[in-house]
Amino acid sequence: MTRHEKRVGEMASAWGKAIAVTVICLVSLLKPAAAQGGGELRFCLRTEPKTFDPLKVEDDASAAVRYLTGGVLVRVNRQTQELEPELAQSWKTSKDGRQITFRLRSGILFSDGTNFSASDVAYTMQLLMDPALHSPTGDAFRSGAGNVETKVISPTQISITFSAPVAGLDRLFDQVAILSERSPKKEMAVLGPFMVADYKPGASLLLNRNPNYWKTDEQGRKLPYLDSIRLDIQPNRDVEMLRFKRGELDLINSLDSEYFDKLSATSPQQVHDAGPSLDSEQLWFNEVAKSPIPGYKKNWFRSANFRQAISEAINREDLSRIVFHGHAQPALGPFSPANKFWFNSKLRPQAYSPDAALKALQAEGFRMKNGALKDKDGNEVVFSIITNAGSKIRERMAVLIQDDLQKIGVHVNVVTLDFPSLIERMTQSYDYEAILLGLTNVDLDPNGEMNVWLSSSENHQWNPQQKAPETSWEAEIDRLMRAQASSSDAKKRKEAFDRVQEIAVEQEPFIFLINKNALSAVSKTVHGAAPVILWPQAFWNAERLTVATK
Amino acid sequence: MSSARQNQILLSAQLSVRYAGKQPVLRDVQLEIQRGEVLGLVGQSGSGKSTLAMAILGLLDKKRAQTEGTIRFQDSELLQLSEHELRALRGRAVALVLQSPLSALNPALKIRTQLREAWRAHAAGGTTECANAIRASLQSVSLPADDEFLRKYPSQMSVGQAQRVLIAMAVMHRPALLIADEATSALDVITQSEILALFRDLNRSTGMAILYISHDLASVAGICDRIAILHRGEIVECGTTEQIFAHPQHEYTQRLMAALPRILPANPQLQAKTEAAAAR
Amino acid sequence: MNSWQKLACAVLALVLGASLAANLLAPGGYAKQYREATNAPPSHAHWLGTDDVGRDRFARVLYGTRISLLLAPAAALLSTLMAALIGGLAGYLGGTWARMAMAVTDLFLSLPWLFLLITARALMPLNVSPQVSALVTFMLLGFLGWTAAARVLCTTAGSLRSSDFVRQARAAGLPGQRLFWVHVMPNLRPVLYAQFWISIPVFILSEANLGILGLGVAEPMPSWGSLLKELEGLVSVGEEPWKFVPLILLVVVVTSFQLLLSRQEGVAA
Repeated sequence: MTRHEKRVGEMASAWGKAIAVTVICLVSLLKPAAAQGGGELRFCLRTEPKTFDPLKVEDDASAAVRYLTGGVLVRVNRQTQELEPELAQSWKTSKDGRQITFRLRSGILFSDGTNFSASDVAYTMQLLMDPALHSPTGDAFRSGAGNVETKVISPTQISITFSAPVAGLDRLFDQVAILSERSPKKEMAVLGPFMVADYKPGASLLLNRNPNYWKTDEQGRKLPYLDSIRLDIQPNRDVEMLRFKRGELDLINSLDSEYFDKLSATSPQQVHDAGPSLDSEQLWFNEVAKSPIPGYKKNWFRSANFRQAISEAINREDLSRIVFHGHAQPALGPFSPANKFWFNSKLRPQAYSPDAALKALQAEGFRMKNGALKDKDGNEVVFSIITNAGSKIRERMAVLIQDDLQKIGVHVNVVTLDFPSLIERMTQSYDYEAILLGLTNVDLDPNGEMNVWLSSSENHQWNPQQKAPETSWEAEIDRLMRAQASSSDAKKRKEAFDRVQEIAVEQEPFIFLINKNALSAVSKTVHGAAPVILWPQAFWNAERLTVATK
Repeated sequence: MSSARQNQILLSAQLSVRYAGKQPVLRDVQLEIQRGEVLGLVGQSGSGKSTLAMAILGLLDKKRAQTEGTIRFQDSELLQLSEHELRALRGRAVALVLQSPLSALNPALKIRTQLREAWRAHAAGGTTECANAIRASLQSVSLPADDEFLRKYPSQMSVGQAQRVLIAMAVMHRPALLIADEATSALDVITQSEILALFRDLNRSTGMAILYISHDLASVAGICDRIAILHRGEIVECGTTEQIFAHPQHEYTQRLMAALPRILPANPQLQAKTEAAAAR
Repeated sequence: MNSWQKLACAVLALVLGASLAANLLAPGGYAKQYREATNAPPSHAHWLGTDDVGRDRFARVLYGTRISLLLAPAAALLSTLMAALIGGLAGYLGGTWARMAMAVTDLFLSLPWLFLLITARALMPLNVSPQVSALVTFMLLGFLGWTAAARVLCTTAGSLRSSDFVRQARAAGLPGQRLFWVHVMPNLRPVLYAQFWISIPVFILSEANLGILGLGVAEPMPSWGSLLKELEGLVSVGEEPWKFVPLILLVVVVTSFQLLLSRQEGVAA
């Protein structure tokens, strides 16, 4: 589901966030909207939206605008994680996974009054798959060379054929906002619940309700309830928080744990902890053979026993409790339990046991002398963990890990670096020993993580761009990832990816630490809010929200 | 007397000074100072008096000022000397007293430090010799040489005291020539006459020659043996004090005389002469 | 020495003494994490409470004082000396020298420091002990912090060069270097003192900010800078007043130093 764009640059920024799993959303059932005449919802975008063209979306702010204004054929329900019909009443994917056929609703108009039909879908797909557009959304569909074929069977029926099988094809359409082929207003003619009414660059964006929106609620009332949404562009989170407290904003889509607790102290009914999200925080060692670090350190880092011992010596419960004030869960593996379908439910939490870790290290030939661990050649076990500066949470995690590892005689130097330097060391010079970072998972489907797990990928961080897999377990992961990607049988894919998760936990190339909870704040004046763990957490059901006027 | 005078010559100068691209400040100025003599150099501001003083001390900015001619002092040709040799002369053989004592003394240093620095510039002796020299020079200008006084900063003294400190610094090494550049102009009348008296005493007791530079003909009259009148970079007239006052030759000198106030300070004898000259 | 100065002396002695006796006063050490008592308010066990990973704030303040009180003045001294030598000497020599020194200063001011500091960090190995990292950082700050003062000093020294007392001293036969050290330098003292005292708190705070480049005092070692960072997200003063202790300490110590030394300077000037 959701944004699937994972290009190199994008990857770097995706690494900049964090966390989580399980999905027992504290989500209350939607109360039928009692209020009439929806009012105006106000919240902040943290950056300027870079584009209003839904096909070119890369950044969060543009994605938010696309989510609120774009009409899609199918939508992943952010609460149930199930795929639901929208503009398409039904759809069917071919056995070979190359073709999908949609049956569309009829009588739907764009916001400017233009008719919607299958030819608009064909037009949109052709634009999206045009290599010259460099659409990140389009890239997700590109599993092989060749162009997309669109066939309009009737005004309400269309089939789309790709040159190679695309795993999880139907869910990718969650990202594809349909454009009008004929409207003179181009991408400003939309099919979603809201439309852009006014844009003041650097200041704010006003969305009005789309009068032609097709959806109605269970009582037959037209959606959306809201009259408008005002999005203020505000990068400063302190200001955002202050304005929320003053009642100038109605929601904060993602809060960090510190703000959450502060707000919770004064108005507990306005904060929502939706439980663990998909994002994770992890630590990994440099296993790159040609990296400029001492050979004996490479030997440690390339030993699975060493990595496991380190993993075992880290107190994940404390990380969650102290750094995240309890708003995080110890991670079980590469996928958060929040990913209902794909998470391997056989995985168990890593037990915290410095004693067992030390024993395992001693079995490897490490010896403890005067409180310092030495390897069998007498080298003291010292390494540095680098993380990005300015992230208080990661700095705190590093300090706790430093203290945990000291207990098994491992001396850690914590170094915070500016993000570009860190990325340079991580991807270019490989001049690092261990890195602590987070991975933002926007995709429920393992296909979105191909670039992390394939040993040939440049985002295979612990040892990227391998010509041939250097270890047997990496070879196996490669095979399994390819197998799941080329299959359209959900069960087989699941089996393959379950095995990938097991290998990852055995080998610990990434030492997964925690999954952050999805935290948000919603004002009491907003009715119908049900924050979830998937983006956009607090306004995923914007079309059914109302704001009480004061 | 004239041949005797030849041997008596301490300094004889003939020089021109010009700053790059400008009118000459001094034009072929000829000046002689005899041992033990007090020579007055009178001219209005901008006439080049200070430039002449600085030229003798070798303190003109060599990059900007072009100096031509000769300055013979004792047995040396000053314009030929290296900076090192010049420095050995400054303060030891030729000393300078500037106009405003409060700006000529370093405000951040105690009197003792300033005197000590002046002493050490030319003497290698230890602390005791230094202290003795400081005491002697302060006594010679009738200042107390006790610790309390030496600990003072210039701002804690009167102008007259400060000027005496400057003079003490100048005479410390018994120079053969003292250049007093407007040394009394910034003082009130009473202090001025005291300082003039001090100069005269020092001149008599130590035999050092004084080049007394001033814009004020009246103050010069009290102590000078001879007077040179500098006008627009040229010496227009030079003679004994009596000659200048009695028979001013040059038109500029006559104008200077006419501008003198009626009541002259000090020297009643000169006053009479001047009045006689004016009456004619 | 007046009563204010005596007070300042006592305060400094107390602060210095306490920081040197840190091992006795805070036997738990600055790195021990009391994980069951994070963000605790002051108590009998933790006089100033604990920080967000449960480290005793009192211990961290004491050990942080050691680092900052030792290294920040050292860095300030370095930058002041450099300013005096480069700015003062060039201004005194005048002409080409002054122009050259000012060109160097301008160059220094216009250099992309962030970039250079990043390069400096890149040149340093990742595994350096927190002590070395702290030392390098403060020396780097000292090495970079002289430019603004050098400009002022250059101008001041330039005007001193043509002052009467320097001319008088030259006429007394003082050699050039004596003139500079004895006559010019004492008159630059007010600027130098100002530079020195301003630099100390500036360096203490800069050190904290350099953390974002991977420079600065590394975890788990405390410094005043890292302690002051705790104040960043504080919403109101009343909430957790004990977090202000490092700030108060910084102000008190800098003020005491100033009282102690500027009074003597006042007499001198």
